[in-house]
Amino acid sequence: MSAALWRSVAGRLGGSVVVAWGSTTAAFVALHALPGNIADILAGDLDYPGLREAIAAEWGLDRSLAAQYVDFVRRIALGDFGTSYELRRPVADVVASQLWPTLQLAAAAGVLALLIAVGVAVLTAGRGRLPRAVASLVELVFASTPVFWLGILLLMGFSFTLQWLPVSGAAGWQALVLPAVTLALPTAGLLTQVLREAMEKTLEQPFVVTVRARGLGEWRLRTRHVLRHAALPLMTLGGWIIGGLLGGAVITEKVFGRPGLGTVTLNAVLSHDVPIVLAVVLLAAFVHVAASTLLDLLYVLIDPRLRAS
Amino acid sequence: MTSSRQAVLDAPGRDPLAPASARRVSSRLPSLAVMLSALFVLLLIVATAAPQWLTPHDPLEGDFLAVLQPPGSGHLFGTDRLGRDVFARTVHGARYSLCIGLGSTAISVFFGVLLGVAAGQKSRLLDEGISRVLDVISSFPGVLLAMLVVIFLGQGMANIAIAVGIAGIPKFGRVVRAQTQAVRGADYVTHACIYGRSRLQVFVRHVLPNALVAVPVTATIYVGSTILATSGLSFLGLGPQPPTPEWGVMLAESRDVLRVAWWPGVFPGAAITLTVIAFTVLGHHLQRRFEGRQP
Amino acid sequence: MTFLTPSPRARRGLLPLALGLVSACSVAGETPRQGGQISFGVTTDPICFNPHRSTQQNSYILIRNYIDSLVAKGSGGRFLPWLAQEHAVSADGKTYTFKLRPGMRFHDGTPLDAAAVKFNFDFVRETKNTNAAGELLQAVDAVQAVSPTEVRLTLRRPDSGLLESIASVRLGLISPKSLQAGDGLCAGGSALAGSGPFVFQSYSRGQSATFVKNRDYQWAPGYAAHAGPAYLDKVTVRFLPEYAVRAGALSSGQVDVIEGVQPTDVGLFKDKPGFQFLVGPAGAQTSFTLNINYTVPPADDVRVRRALRDGANIDALVKSVYQGTYRRAWSNIGPDNFFYAKALENAWGNDVAGANRQLDAAGWTGRDAEGFRTKGGQRLTIEVGYPQPFVRDNREVLIQGLQALLRKNLGFDLKLRFITGGEWAQQLQKGSWTIYPNTYLPADAAQELQGNIGESGFIRAVADKGDKELFRLINDALASTSAEGKKKLVQDAQRRAVDQAFIVPLFSANYQLAAKAHVRGLSFETQLDSPSNFHDVWLQGE
Repeated sequence: MSAALWRSVAGRLGGSVVVAWGSTTAAFVALHALPGNIADILAGDLDYPGLREAIAAEWGLDRSLAAQYVDFVRRIALGDFGTSYELRRPVADVVASQLWPTLQLAAAAGVLALLIAVGVAVLTAGRGRLPRAVASLVELVFASTPVFWLGILLLMGFSFTLQWLPVSGAAGWQALVLPAVTLALPTAGLLTQVLREAMEKTLEQPFVVTVRARGLGEWRLRTRHVLRHAALPLMTLGGWIIGGLLGGAVITEKVFGRPGLGTVTLNAVLSHDVPIVLAVVLLAAFVHVAASTLLDLLYVLIDPRLRAS
Repeated sequence: MTSSRQAVLDAPGRDPLAPASARRVSSRLPSLAVMLSALFVLLLIVATAAPQWLTPHDPLEGDFLAVLQPPGSGHLFGTDRLGRDVFARTVHGARYSLCIGLGSTAISVFFGVLLGVAAGQKSRLLDEGISRVLDVISSFPGVLLAMLVVIFLGQGMANIAIAVGIAGIPKFGRVVRAQTQAVRGADYVTHACIYGRSRLQVFVRHVLPNALVAVPVTATIYVGSTILATSGLSFLGLGPQPPTPEWGVMLAESRDVLRVAWWPGVFPGAAITLTVIAFTVLGHHLQRRFEGRQP
Repeated sequence: MTFLTPSPRARRGLLPLALGLVSACSVAGETPRQGGQISFGVTTDPICFNPHRSTQQNSYILIRNYIDSLVAKGSGGRFLPWLAQEHAVSADGKTYTFKLRPGMRFHDGTPLDAAAVKFNFDFVRETKNTNAAGELLQAVDAVQAVSPTEVRLTLRRPDSGLLESIASVRLGLISPKSLQAGDGLCAGGSALAGSGPFVFQSYSRGQSATFVKNRDYQWAPGYAAHAGPAYLDKVTVRFLPEYAVRAGALSSGQVDVIEGVQPTDVGLFKDKPGFQFLVGPAGAQTSFTLNINYTVPPADDVRVRRALRDGANIDALVKSVYQGTYRRAWSNIGPDNFFYAKALENAWGNDVAGANRQLDAAGWTGRDAEGFRTKGGQRLTIEVGYPQPFVRDNREVLIQGLQALLRKNLGFDLKLRFITGGEWAQQLQKGSWTIYPNTYLPADAAQELQGNIGESGFIRAVADKGDKELFRLINDALASTSAEGKKKLVQDAQRRAVDQAFIVPLFSANYQLAAKAHVRGLSFETQLDSPSNFHDVWLQGE
């Protein structure tokens, strides 16, 4: 790989670090810019002996703002998100213990959405008016449907009426099915459109004519050649999609009564537990940035046209 | 940000995050889908301004003898667990969804345009700086950013509108930035400068209107997303409190009685979905009509 | 003062009675089987697992599994042996003696003897330890460990509710070693060593808590169905806050027992093969009541309060929300309580015309754009601040129903706001709360009144502006040495509270248990009205 490529890779990595640092700074500024004493904000509504001292010690409130800021950035960079005063446990512990069910859900939903998108797009790209119109309508509906309503409808149908799947919880793979489908469908609706549009654009390319002329079957053409080209715009959305999955997981967990980071964060918001909310939001931002950067790099590596830039 | 991703996201008016299918559907049957959407939006406006024309029932008053009645005579959408008429609540709920949706879109547009125009100017430094700020804002997933805003500012309608509004700034910022840059390099701007018009005049009379031409269309399409986001936050309990007949709140309340009553959960959700579809279809119709005027 | 102590003959007679009951059950064809594990779905994830500190009713359901008390409250108001084999109260009511069983130990091995009991009570009484249960021991002057098995409490003044408080889980015994560790013990887990039939093994917030059998348990309470250790090896409690989720978990077999079944889900379990449905007693705990802070305007005007009390058809409201499973309440003391003021039944409420007249007389004659009454430009608004951790049982739905009725009938704006536990604590401290809805843990009736509307109740921060007459009645009741005298005072206090509309009683709640059919031995604890611990529960084989 050329030096130019390494430079652009380094540039993108540098850019992502800048954004991550920016997010951390934004959180710090938001915390301090609010009206009210920061010790009060961090304490939520709590008051027990030793609370104020613990807050002052941990956040260095007696030092200058600049010193506090440097300390804050350093702690976040090292993964120390402080203590939750409400739960009296380190935030990192709380988050780590609840991370897995959310990751499970987001991953399952993401994979499912991708599979649906690829399947439908490959089937319907460039076909006749009716299949495409129908598919378009279905995608429009799913992309416009609120995740929580979809979850409620699926619950009613599959859990209460047909009783095929459990109503809630995280026990076993069956409990993952409905939440994953709920989270996946709206995303799938969007992905399918983007993918199909890209595929149709690609199908108009000259090289497709050549490949067809060589006698390659339609299926192989679509899956082996066109799909790869069409996948590129999809990757640019990857970061946004991951962010959407994380946010959607919060709502889906509430609908299905699943434990996870979403539940923890929602409870933290409702009980004014600032350290936890801050930590989860920052973590989500970091994941988002990391995913976007990774996809960016992948994009550059895959698309030869961009290597030179 | 890569130029490739930039190209996808900044394409004037083209919104990859919205159903392209809407465009397809509308271009094949321009009359039907668009007419229906326009009618529906009109219905929403009537529901917002004069809900009493659509329903005689009080959305907050419960008939204790008619709790959890299925849809039928007297109650078009049935009643909820406090005996309140679901149709009346759905109609009155339009106001909240519409106002919060439009309000937060307005916030996104205002600040997005401000930042976008500034970023589109000659200064490379300003451009880079503002672009980084927009990157930072967009690095926070929408729902979580909203939770952060709510924990700092408190719950309620205004605050979730602000939260979703902030989350939407990068979108408009980037669109306007790209447009401003494109316009600044356009021929007619150069001609205006040659004719001796002042920079301010050029800016106000030529650059600005053409840079912002994509905004109304993008905003219309975007209203759908804000309504989804704000009703989701209300569902989580971060927005208006019960007994406000907001659609997200109604869906949250419906969950405990789902097993025995489907109507409190189905109708508000259908309302949200139809509203989002209507705005999306209309927005894409507007886009096709104005596409000719792009620089 | 013999009315508080079962006579020696009665006490001796209880043991054969208990054995008889057990054998009767066995004769019915079911021998309890040892072993097995159970999962229990509950509504509330406790804020605090330390009984000395917790005031959350739903936490006691879990705490009772690992915490014992000195005496046990049985049916009919009698006190049965538990950790104390015998107890006695002096004639003047100022000396209480407890004789402990020998050989008892806490889960961490510390001996449960008189010294440990003294340590517990002293620790709770010590104000700097900020234990909520300290309010129950205010009359106690000194605690003495007379011998390793005898504890003597000396009181400053008679306290007719003391024995009931000692029987309560709130004064249950924790190992001195745990208490000395000094961190409040709210997080539970093995650091909180009690002496109960189960050991608190672990706790994962928002998910579950696990309890394992205490194999050395030989000191079950007098009302237990069997002596000796529990049958079950392990109990896993899962926190499922939502009705639909809990009911769904039981019907799909993911849990074995659930507490809290809403009226629309009862049909899933009641009289259904494979399931059982149990309803607990509804009388001992206080009714779900709106406590009004009458020192804060506009509630400082008795006419406004009376309008709030009478402005809605509470009967119809309770019936529609709970579909007949709960009774409407007339007083904050429960209807099955010996000290319940029966005269209050049908004596107040549902007088919309009268309520409107009261508000007119009080000057709230204006109307604003939304139809609410105004006076001098101010809307007639009172806020109900409901702490989120205490919300359960569709109570918020009921308050919303009341809200709608008051709006329609009177133009009265009853606001409902969910607040955090911390904010409630702050409001309590400043006396700035306006309306606080609650049910209160069953205790002696005078104690319940004291804790809610008495001088050291919720109004304590502004007690100087409180109702002196009410305080007098309650204080006298607490100090009373005769049953009849106490009953009259307690009933007078209830009547005054309702007449002055310091309280608006709404309904008498009960607990519900639904379980798989093969779970046996489920019951409700007299002292709490809530589900008993799992000591007597066993699993019928397939």
